[in-house]
Amino acid sequence: MPFALDASPPGSPADTEILTRIEKDTVQYFVRYSDKLTGLTRDSSRPGSPASIAATGFALAAIAVGGARGWIPEDYAFRQLRKTLGTLLEKAEHQNGFFYHFLNSQTGRRIWASEASSIDTALLVAGALLAAQYHPRTEIEEMARKIYERVNWRWMMNGSSLICMGWKPESGFLPYYWDSYNELLILQALALGSPTHPVPPGAWQEWLRTEDEYNGKRIIHSHSGSLFTYQYSHAFIDFRELADREVNYFSNSKLATLANREYSLSFQSQYKGYSETSWGLSASLGPGGYKAYGAKPGEGLHDGTIAPYAALGSILFTPEISVPAVLFFFENYHKNLYGTFGFKDAFNLDKNWWAQEYLGIDQGISVLMLENFLNQEAVWKKFMDLKYIRKWIESCGLKTHSAKPA
Amino acid sequence: MAELRKHFLINKPLQLRLMSYILAALLVVAAAILLNFYFGIWGNVLETFSNQETLNDLLTAARLSQYEEARLPSPSNSPSELLPFFKQAEKLSQRQREIFKDILDQTNRKLLPQFGLLLVFIGWGSIFITHKIAGPLYRFHESLGEVEKGNLHIRIRLRKYDEAKFIGARFNRAIENLENIFSRIKKIARDKKSDPAEALALISEETSKIKTREERA
Repeated sequence: MPFALDASPPGSPADTEILTRIEKDTVQYFVRYSDKLTGLTRDSSRPGSPASIAATGFALAAIAVGGARGWIPEDYAFRQLRKTLGTLLEKAEHQNGFFYHFLNSQTGRRIWASEASSIDTALLVAGALLAAQYHPRTEIEEMARKIYERVNWRWMMNGSSLICMGWKPESGFLPYYWDSYNELLILQALALGSPTHPVPPGAWQEWLRTEDEYNGKRIIHSHSGSLFTYQYSHAFIDFRELADREVNYFSNSKLATLANREYSLSFQSQYKGYSETSWGLSASLGPGGYKAYGAKPGEGLHDGTIAPYAALGSILFTPEISVPAVLFFFENYHKNLYGTFGFKDAFNLDKNWWAQEYLGIDQGISVLMLENFLNQEAVWKKFMDLKYIRKWIESCGLKTHSAKPA
Repeated sequence: MAELRKHFLINKPLQLRLMSYILAALLVVAAAILLNFYFGIWGNVLETFSNQETLNDLLTAARLSQYEEARLPSPSNSPSELLPFFKQAEKLSQRQREIFKDILDQTNRKLLPQFGLLLVFIGWGSIFITHKIAGPLYRFHESLGEVEKGNLHIRIRLRKYDEAKFIGARFNRAIENLENIFSRIKKIARDKKSDPAEALALISEETSKIKTREERA
């Protein structure tokens, strides 16, 4: 599989202006929907929505970015980060460092009998470590480090060779493990790079790289084929120069994005929403609730619902098709789809359905990918500079661009 | 057989005043407890189960159930279309248990310091009320001790809001009368040393105003 080169630069200045506006507006979700006292961020803008630790992780990242870019007053951003990290260190319920998926945004207590979640904790830690990189040698860095060091990744393996999805006080470990390719790369990276409780290096080899072909593209794919599974880890980690044996996950995500678009185009005659510039099958809200929409290879569940964040989240892999899609959504569906906090979650033209809410994690991936795209890969540069990431690369023998072990 | 009381309001103003103190204290305590219970428990319950909150919880239960379904690998042939409904119902019931636990925890957290304040109030109130009675009793006890020792110049001075001031006034008048009689007798004894017969007659006249065992016999 060929190694990808640098992401293409943004298009015209007018396009860049629109994309910058989208990023700036989207950052505001995390200002508006983070609790004033605890800093914990709500899962969605829907009234009654609990705080989600994944959304909080993206909030840490987005607020750090917003502060650095001058979209949020810098001192406000710093205080907000300190408040949130303080809550996570001292108030938020956790088990061996793994936070519960959903928390009461005002108290930090577990809510909805949710599980202590491994992937959501990983996203939270990633956000915390990124925020720390924006504020080196401050208490932000110190607090983020403590949060990371507290996580006992090895415990979450439950004596097996894979990382479990979660744990509940009532029933113990969930009967599900991160056993095949998806958004698990960031979880694996942080678990292997941990300075205190790393998982054994062998854990990297244990999960399945299920490969399949769609339209002549061989792709290591996730079960659902949801586009977000090819994006989340890439928001933080620059995979362009990393090779896992002969696999380059950046190129893989690029192919998965192309396949995702082609898959929806193959149903163009059946669904009004699908077109050359209107695509993006990824887990999102839809007319029948939240579903793991996706493409082939994978389950390929779809019903005409398109999530704008899917094209945005692939902007680094496929700028040539992602930018036109984002601009198309912005210009053509602005009234129904765009709001104070950027794009709302999804739409379905066949059912004339437009999401009325924003989802924290979908806003989060949009901000980070746009920041990498518009601001000289700022997030990647900071995150890849972490010693923990270097440790992960070394411990699993990933090869650099020159195909030599790192 | 014990003598039955015929009148319960022996001293109406005094008893009514004391009753009003006790009733006021009890009313403050009861009001504090009732308000706490209303706002601490029922207020939370009413708010939690308002139409809007119930709708929010229903939607959240559905959403979280959908999240799980989207994330966790599920069998391709779902055994029943009702499964999501049961999952949502289970989530909702778990949530309601959490809510009740939270309400009780919150209520306890609110009530504890307020009960502490009430205890302080009750403590202060009981000291205040008993002091109004115990203070005069102590002064009576001390004054009578002085009388016992022969000091008839003693007078009881009660505070402005002490109870039983009328008894104090009566006591002072009684002691003053006795003091006057004994002062006059002492004066006769001093002035009439040269005429014992006249002195005796005058003393006898003075003491005739005093009732003692001898008159009864």
